[in-house]
Amino acid sequence: MELVAFLECLTSASCIISQTAGGLKIGMLLFLVASGLTLVFGVLGVINFAHGALYMLGAYFSWQVMNTTGHFGLSVLLGAIGVSIVGLMFERGLLNRVYNAELLIQILLCYSIVLILDDLVMIIWGDEFLSSIGIPEIFQVPPLFVLDAIIPPFHLAIIGLSLLLAIGLWLLMTKTRFGHLVRAAAVNPNMLEALGINTTVIRASVFVLGSFLAGLGGALASSIGSVVSGMGNSILVESFIVTVIGGMGSIGGAFLASIIIGMARSFGAIAMPLFTDGIMFLIMVLVLILRPHGLMGDKK
Amino acid sequence: MISFLKKDSFSRDACLALLSWVFLIVVFFIIPDPGVHDIIQKVFILGLFALSLNILIGYLGLIAFGHAAFFAAGAYTLGLFLQSDFIKIYNFGSFSIPVAILLSILVSGVLATFIGAICIRLKDIYFSFLTLAFQMVIYSIILALVDITGGDQGLMGGFPKPPFLGIDLSKPFDFYAFTIFISILVILVLRQLIESPFGYGLRMIRDNAERPAALGFNNQNHKLIAFIIAGSIAGLAGSLQALLDVGAYPEWAFWAKSAEPLFMILLGGMNTFLGPLMGALIFEILNDFVTANTKYYGLVLGLVILSFVLGLKQGLLDWMVIKFKESRNKNAQNK
Amino acid sequence: MLKINNLEKSFGGIIATGNVTLELQKQTINAVIGPNGAGKTTLFNLITGKLKPDTGKVFIENKEITNLDETETTQMGIARAFQITNIFPNLTVYESIKLAILSKHNGLNNMWTRFKDHNVNYEADKIMKLAGLTKSKNIISSELSHGDQKLLDIALALCLKPKLLLLDEPTAGMGPEERWKMIDRIKELWKKTKITILFIEHDMDIVFGIAQKIYVLQQGAILAEGRPKDIKKDQKVIKAYLGGGKK
Repeated sequence: MELVAFLECLTSASCIISQTAGGLKIGMLLFLVASGLTLVFGVLGVINFAHGALYMLGAYFSWQVMNTTGHFGLSVLLGAIGVSIVGLMFERGLLNRVYNAELLIQILLCYSIVLILDDLVMIIWGDEFLSSIGIPEIFQVPPLFVLDAIIPPFHLAIIGLSLLLAIGLWLLMTKTRFGHLVRAAAVNPNMLEALGINTTVIRASVFVLGSFLAGLGGALASSIGSVVSGMGNSILVESFIVTVIGGMGSIGGAFLASIIIGMARSFGAIAMPLFTDGIMFLIMVLVLILRPHGLMGDKK
Repeated sequence: MISFLKKDSFSRDACLALLSWVFLIVVFFIIPDPGVHDIIQKVFILGLFALSLNILIGYLGLIAFGHAAFFAAGAYTLGLFLQSDFIKIYNFGSFSIPVAILLSILVSGVLATFIGAICIRLKDIYFSFLTLAFQMVIYSIILALVDITGGDQGLMGGFPKPPFLGIDLSKPFDFYAFTIFISILVILVLRQLIESPFGYGLRMIRDNAERPAALGFNNQNHKLIAFIIAGSIAGLAGSLQALLDVGAYPEWAFWAKSAEPLFMILLGGMNTFLGPLMGALIFEILNDFVTANTKYYGLVLGLVILSFVLGLKQGLLDWMVIKFKESRNKNAQNK
Repeated sequence: MLKINNLEKSFGGIIATGNVTLELQKQTINAVIGPNGAGKTTLFNLITGKLKPDTGKVFIENKEITNLDETETTQMGIARAFQITNIFPNLTVYESIKLAILSKHNGLNNMWTRFKDHNVNYEADKIMKLAGLTKSKNIISSELSHGDQKLLDIALALCLKPKLLLLDEPTAGMGPEERWKMIDRIKELWKKTKITILFIEHDMDIVFGIAQKIYVLQQGAILAEGRPKDIKKDQKVIKAYLGGGKK
């Protein structure tokens, strides 16, 4: 444990600021992906193990669009939309067959998709790392200095965009008819059916929305890191952590948990560089023991 | 003699176990291909791993998603013990391997006691997630303790395999016969456990977790004992794997490793006792065959799993048992 | 034999059981009636220790059982069958009953013998006969008819050799004919064993036909109690429960 380095950081304003900004960036990107996972679980009751693979597809799609058109915004948008289409096909073609099946069957179905997609992208794009698509030109400026802390503007943009999406998601779920239907479908699908509302459409659209979020997360990730098969696996597990800590099905909880995990990663990297992942999992263990339904989940 | 070989008696199972072992020994000499021997011993090691998990999944109805933690604990315990100076100081001499294996079972059993006592209080997906989280904590610990475990490189440097009782595990035949013997022995014990009143108690909890309490039955104790047994056997499987590979690797504690026995259980079947062993056989043959022909192993495995999940909807052995019973019933009706 | 003093339980301010006091005589059949939400099942949960009361005491044969949990009350001689059938779907009738009997004798920790070799035939046969399940011995529980599943649930409770048997709506979800069959079965069972029975029931005709004493529950409290013919005439009951329409 690097206690000295950690204490040094805590006594330096610039270190605290840059680590906090870094933590927020990690947390907000994670929130994009994890909110989709928790949304899908809340309504469909399925733990989508393929969520990380959809994230990976988002990165590949946006890489492809970027290298074809050279337009950043288009590549992120088409990446996310492309994944939504794949998500729709997955939900309609495969997942809906196992809604009533046992947990094990659902997990294995999703996991088989992970195995298949991980290899498919290698067949299509090769098994080498693809270099990051890079950040858009307007953000290719010198970093901001806040009390000597270095903050890349693009990270601020990611944080801002994710915050906007979080607010948008919150508005969608609480203020619109769609949101009300989705939340009702999560609690009592039979009642909705009885009211003549097509829950199949609701389920499919929730899954598409979840896929869109995963794809968007992956597309943005492709701008700050390289793209490779299997890149979805670690974000999948981190999304599990966020989902569990926040409370399964709770988007607000996922937001809070994403920030906690982002900070744990950012500051943990200084305090315990070899055990950063361990810290996250310890938090997950503690939450499951002390509050199995998460910080903001419903007790059922 | 008839009662000795009565269906579902321990003595009959013991005879079958012994016969299987002898048969596999004969196979060793009939097929002198080391590749085949390798597959067979791996099937048994992975089979033990999958069978132990199926105590929880098939008989108790708990989807444990962190079973590799115990596999890795067993593997690292064996490796570290055989590498340590401990052996020289206390001079277990020729018995260091049996002692190391027993120690692996013990350590993973203790770990399972600790993790199990906490996890069994949760239900459904929460149970699964807690087992997953514990496993990843252990994975992180293995990566962090570089000085002891070798971190992400794994436990390198090898270790001695001193012969004991005339068994020299550095010789292929001795290793093959020993591994399969131990595996079959444990499978026999496991079979006894599953067919005992204790084992039926597990099925009772699987079928209905609420009712047993109203029958004056303590679910939690029963679950914990099953969890400890499952963890210990996974630890044994890990120690055998470490002996085979003369090392231990952090991937064995990673969550993807916990998915492997799930695949085997799915492929072979969870409702038939030997289903997971059958699954291990399918898994290994698939692995061997596919990796020899293409590097896209995941794609093929994924498609196979998908076809089982959506097509057969059950493991191969489960399916065969049902078909066999159906045809037997038909025959009985025709008569 | 069962004595309840001033039992109270509320959930988040809503009173589920309010000041219930009652005493059951040995070897009698007693019924609890009341509209939905009157707190009948809650009362059962309080007796068996599945729920803990806020105040009040429960005794069985003068021994206090108020704070015992579900497992411990079974050892004190209380067994119950459930409103929603609570059996083991993948096990056969015989296996289920054998498990319940072995569980009673702490036999389920045994790992060294075969379940199949355990001979509890005498006890199991007796119980299956009592419940009328002898012919269904080797049928998987989930394949039984609804009525037989209910009977199996009761049979499981009988395996505990209880002094007090709690039956939560034994005729729920049955057609009229099936109901009377079930009631005859319970009557016969009672005649043979003389177990004290407390049961919950909706159907008035059934209650009046079989119970020796009736407790009418309303909003958690006992509105009236007494012999069937007294209850039939009780003005409060007629008004509150029978709706006054019946004359």
